[in-house]
Amino acid sequence: MRQFVDRLEEGVISLLLVAMTLLVFTEVVMRFAFNAGFLWIQELTLLVSGWFVLLGASYGVRVGAHIGVDAVVRLLKPEVRRVVSIVAVLLCLFYCGLLFVGSWEYLAKMYKIGLELDDMVFPKWIAHSILVIGFGLLILRFLELLWKIVKKEQDGFALADEAKEALEELDLRKQDRNGGADQ
Amino acid sequence: EPVTIKFSHVVAENTPKGQMALKFKELAEQRLPGKVVVEVFPNSQLFGDNKVLEAMLLGDVQIAAPSLSKFNKYTKQLQVFDLPFLFKDMEAVERFQQGPAGQELLNSMTGKGLLGLGYLHNGLKQLSATRELRSPKDADGLKFRIQSSDVLAAQFEALGAIPLKKPFSEVFLLLQTKAIDGQENTWSNIYSKKFFEVQEHITASNHGLIDYLVVTSNEFWSGLPDDMRTELDGAMKEAIAHGNKIAEEKAVNDRKRIADSGRSTILDLSDAERAQWVEAMKPVWDKFAGEIGQDLIDAAVASNN
Amino acid sequence: MTAAVLFALLFLCMFMGMPIAIALGFSSVVTIYFMSGDSIASMGLKFIENLTEHYTLLAIPFFVLSSAFLSTGGVALRLIRFATAGVGHIRGGLAMASVLACMLFAAVSGSSPATVAAIGSIVIVGMVRSGYPENFAAGVISNAGTLGILIPPSIVMLVYAAATEVSAARMFMAGFIPGILMGLILMVAIYIYARIKGLPSLDRASAREFFSAAFSASGGIILIVIVLGAIYGGIASPTEAAAVSTVYAFLIAVIGYRDMGPLKEVPWRYEGENGLGAAFRNTRQMIVAIPMSFFSRDVQKVVLDGAKVSFMLLFIIANAMLFAHVLTSERIPHMIAETITQMGLPAWGFLIVMNILLLIAGNFMEPSAILLIMAPILFPIGLQLGIDPIHLGIIMVVNMEIGMITPPVGLNLFVTAGITGRDIVWVVKACLPWLSLLLMFLILVTYVPQISLFLPELIDSLRGR
Ligand code: NA
Ligand code: NA
Repeated sequence: MRQFVDRLEEGVISLLLVAMTLLVFTEVVMRFAFNAGFLWIQELTLLVSGWFVLLGASYGVRVGAHIGVDAVVRLLKPEVRRVVSIVAVLLCLFYCGLLFVGSWEYLAKMYKIGLELDDMVFPKWIAHSILVIGFGLLILRFLELLWKIVKKEQDGFALADEAKEALEELDLRKQDRNGGADQ
Repeated sequence: EPVTIKFSHVVAENTPKGQMALKFKELAEQRLPGKVVVEVFPNSQLFGDNKVLEAMLLGDVQIAAPSLSKFNKYTKQLQVFDLPFLFKDMEAVERFQQGPAGQELLNSMTGKGLLGLGYLHNGLKQLSATRELRSPKDADGLKFRIQSSDVLAAQFEALGAIPLKKPFSEVFLLLQTKAIDGQENTWSNIYSKKFFEVQEHITASNHGLIDYLVVTSNEFWSGLPDDMRTELDGAMKEAIAHGNKIAEEKAVNDRKRIADSGRSTILDLSDAERAQWVEAMKPVWDKFAGEIGQDLIDAAVASNN
Repeated sequence: MTAAVLFALLFLCMFMGMPIAIALGFSSVVTIYFMSGDSIASMGLKFIENLTEHYTLLAIPFFVLSSAFLSTGGVALRLIRFATAGVGHIRGGLAMASVLACMLFAAVSGSSPATVAAIGSIVIVGMVRSGYPENFAAGVISNAGTLGILIPPSIVMLVYAAATEVSAARMFMAGFIPGILMGLILMVAIYIYARIKGLPSLDRASAREFFSAAFSASGGIILIVIVLGAIYGGIASPTEAAAVSTVYAFLIAVIGYRDMGPLKEVPWRYEGENGLGAAFRNTRQMIVAIPMSFFSRDVQKVVLDGAKVSFMLLFIIANAMLFAHVLTSERIPHMIAETITQMGLPAWGFLIVMNILLLIAGNFMEPSAILLIMAPILFPIGLQLGIDPIHLGIIMVVNMEIGMITPPVGLNLFVTAGITGRDIVWVVKACLPWLSLLLMFLILVTYVPQISLFLPELIDSLRGR
């Protein structure tokens, strides 16, 4: 079950990125080849990108996709480091909490006035509801992370740096090259 | 503790709107010394035009001046200003705005929490394109960039042209590379955004209007003490008059600068040619008469005499 | 006071190991919540504005995704082969070829660490094997990799254009000559070093190998033509061209080179297959392959990898805009601007102050975040002093390049350290001599505006009749 949800999350995030690309690509092709345009396409693309980023942000906490500076905490003793990390996660939760409440109030206002999107006949509060969904999911992820640090399963944010990723990719490619002897 | 008024707009300080905002600050702080502080944020520093009204409803901005087409989702009535060939000149616009119908329009959004304080002019719109637009059929099949507005989309569709929406930051480039064929704008916008450098032909069509609505939040405004509100209202009227005067001069000067640049040719329409454009675009009126209200359209037409 | 709290919180959070995005966002919302009159609802509003009102920023995910297809597919390898065939026979030629390969890759990718990762992972090992000192190879590549953001397309330039409303296409054009110039400077320095130290050279590539390499790399090189052609030839804006390039990169990786996806290992022509038959078979397979790649594991992985980098960057940017919003609503840029204006600096003096400010920031922060915070502060002052906005942008981009190889936060350093398996201190030392070259280049670009402005102005004058 857990694995299915994880896969679903990855699938949705990838699909949103692909959708953004294809929306803009379609716009160019329609304009250039068929002399036609859609007045709603820009707003929809940007909306999709908003959903993509906020869904991605919480997924990123789980897989450690966010970059940060861990050079300083690495100098600390493990116990001290754990305490610092716990405080840091609590601060993250505070940030998410504030924005969650702020987003809620904002959406409530939009709901009350009954405002629509600019180019599409669609309620703004639903289109922008990703704010509370996204920050809500972030809160869950950070609670999960907090629990793991408390239980000593993880010693801090699993921050990816681009270097590590490039390295992993390199290893893969080396394996490829060693595996395929005919290159 | 003085009342802080945040005035947020999206243009530079040396434009008519920028000058009007600074004038309002000067007058308001002068007339209500120690009681009010006006902070002006130009260049979308605080919020862009699409979000400033929402920020106002949340109480984080007190005054803004978006263009009239930006109020589409708050009231359909203000769409009257987007109708093509409604006003024959800026005097007619002024008569309509200052008349009873125009003043009543200021209150048309109080249900959604917004209150109009006055109209600020930019000017009448001209058409520009990569080819000469002498008769409406010249626009057939061309792609025009428009502001987000159903009326403006319908206006270009009536010509057989394709309306496109693009963010302002990309318009110049798309015009330059001819990915988009044309656009409509006032003389001062065509000049300041350098569109005349990339559009060879401008038709002095005066076919529509770009004006701004200076707007505040109902809640904020009605919460002010009466004497203060009166003073601020007076300061705003004076600041708007100041801005309008600059806008009027600017329209004339910018048209001249564009003509002098030699980058584009300006085509003045004969009465017969103009009549063709009116005939092509006017069906749009009927399409929106229901939403806007026929009596409002009639009042606007009446201001031409 | 507010500013002090804001910056103190930011650095404290960063050093606690918080994700940079949240460190920026946290310091902003806390400052707003406790110290200013703004509502927290306006933070929600501002956040959605940051996410859904900046169309130009969409070029970032598009270029990231297209880079993901290019570097996972073997495009980088093919570009290196081509560059080697071109200049490999000159003394120090392999090092020069690596620089050339970095320049070529920079012309299709918008990011510096991506350039180092794609090219460096292959050529550093190659150079060491051919007898080059390892620290020399590492230093060259870390530096040449920074060209990723100077030679267009460039994510950093897009961020600058979005922050200042300067035309992105003009920024791109302005980056060309400085980018090529920096590449040449690096090559000359390599040549001098090679002469003195007696570095090795390869045999001259046969004409056959040269053309074969060129043909094999053409899929990647055509991408450069597509992106720049679409932007300058009038089909698309930079954002749109980025989307087009992504679709192209997908097609070249899956259909053209067949490095991944359903057609992997399927040859264009089987032995003994006749031409017509192969053409039919390939057409049929391609039509099937495009929808089928949605289900291909390795294509899915590339998209997900691209997605991770994209949302991570866009999330940082959205929070950096929140940070910038706090700065503006507290009028901090105005105060810094006033301080610098009251110093009565002439243009050249302002440029020195600006460079120092940016170099310091470049030590600690990611380029997009720096530009989003600093550009709105520095831009108006520069304009007031009569500095061309495009020139100002190029100066900032060169500063950001240097930031890529300065400790403690320098993405290129991390990538190189990863590739060589050395520690950061070793990499920093390896980069040092080349860093001084970049600093000289910065001075050159700062005080000779024509380097940046020549091309955009030339094109303007050609268009202006
Ligand atoms: Na690049
Ligand atoms: Na750095």
